[in-house]
Amino acid sequence: MFEELWRWSGAFMQGTLVILLVFLVSLVLTVIWGLLGASAKLSGNRAAKAAADAYTVVFRGTPEFLLLLLIYFGSAVTLTALVKLVWPQTRFVDLSPFWAGAFAISLIVGAAATETFRGAFLGVDRGQVEAAQALGLRRLQVFFLIRLPQMWRLALPSFGNHMNSLVKDTALISVIGLQEIMFTADMAASTNSMPFAMYFAVALIYLGFTTIITLGTGHLERRANHFMTVSR
Amino acid sequence: MSFDIALMLTSFPQLLAGLGMTLQLLGISLVSGLAIAIVTSWARTTRFLRWPAETYVYFFRGTPLLVQLFVIYFGLPQAEFVRSGPWWPFLREPFWCMCLALSLNNGAYVAEIIRGGMLGIGKGLKEASWALGLSRFHHLRLVTVPIVTRLCLPTYGNEVVSLMKSTALASTVTLLDVTGVARSIVAETFAPYEIFIAAALIYLALTFLMQTLVSRLEARLGRYAQR
Repeated sequence: MFEELWRWSGAFMQGTLVILLVFLVSLVLTVIWGLLGASAKLSGNRAAKAAADAYTVVFRGTPEFLLLLLIYFGSAVTLTALVKLVWPQTRFVDLSPFWAGAFAISLIVGAAATETFRGAFLGVDRGQVEAAQALGLRRLQVFFLIRLPQMWRLALPSFGNHMNSLVKDTALISVIGLQEIMFTADMAASTNSMPFAMYFAVALIYLGFTTIITLGTGHLERRANHFMTVSR
Repeated sequence: MSFDIALMLTSFPQLLAGLGMTLQLLGISLVSGLAIAIVTSWARTTRFLRWPAETYVYFFRGTPLLVQLFVIYFGLPQAEFVRSGPWWPFLREPFWCMCLALSLNNGAYVAEIIRGGMLGIGKGLKEASWALGLSRFHHLRLVTVPIVTRLCLPTYGNEVVSLMKSTALASTVTLLDVTGVARSIVAETFAPYEIFIAAALIYLALTFLMQTLVSRLEARLGRYAQR
């Protein structure tokens, strides 16, 4: 069993790298969707608020897997139609599973992050914002210098969970053809007929990811709250 | 590209035929997941079963459900004792493998929710029951369970929705639930928007229904609580 794992370790490592890349790309996108969504929900603009509400209801109430399929196959249909307008002889265009997958899982977790960020923004002391306005800071300055740094501390515990969800959702992308560790395990199991060992190895790699994220966010939380403790 | 409303409408009856599978998976895993969670919560309080229980929760919360499902469905038959045991008629079926994966996954998450609820019970309550001469069983039945239930219900409601969404993975092991039916229609028609959005509407309706039921139950259980 261990020889087999050793034999496939190179492929597993490559697959792990793919997961790491999807995770990092979708993490950046998740933060963007979350901040946009939370800002829209807190803004006075009724249309923006309605759009953000619809976004969170749909993306939190529908299965992750179904949304991934919708976005992957849907984007292929749309892209093909668009490209055909310019080059009519085109037969089929699609987003790579990597980008479609990263986009899909970031939108899914971004809906959860929207709620987290919304709560965290509300948790920032109103007086801080008023003080910044009194000092003559512009709206973007207030956002980036006052609200964002203080909101992070409040969002961190939930955001750690969101990062774990992101990592675990990367496994779904193997179904639409991303060549990551599930794919490696599929291939390995079909040649050496040791599916248990191969899929268990995948589970342990994911466990490694989620453990690092959980420990990492715990560390960040302690650091972020470092100056908040009055006395020990 | 056009959006074919007629196709969407005609696909609904087919998709609803998959609803039975989705609901069966949900119902079975909901009951057995809760049972597993309660046993795990008890095991966590004992001396010898504590570490196995902690390991179980850590493993099933830290890995993707899809991987757990594949370990069970493709992996377990690798072992001879799995194929020769009395459980083989079940573990051979994708349906029961899916139920097992969903239940174990849900059990781990719910055990963690129960742990959180238990933290909400102050030490004073235990002392009060003791002073009143309640037995351990009566303390559990009259004090711990009602309070923990009320504390856990909102989070548990989210977990039920999450379980419902997880049933969509059933199509990866050939089961024809709502998502499975949707995938097979898309493979024929190649109309992903119409079909997948129709399926999404069914799931959204289920989510809404479950959220309503949970908040009704919350209001009922919390009717004596002061706000």
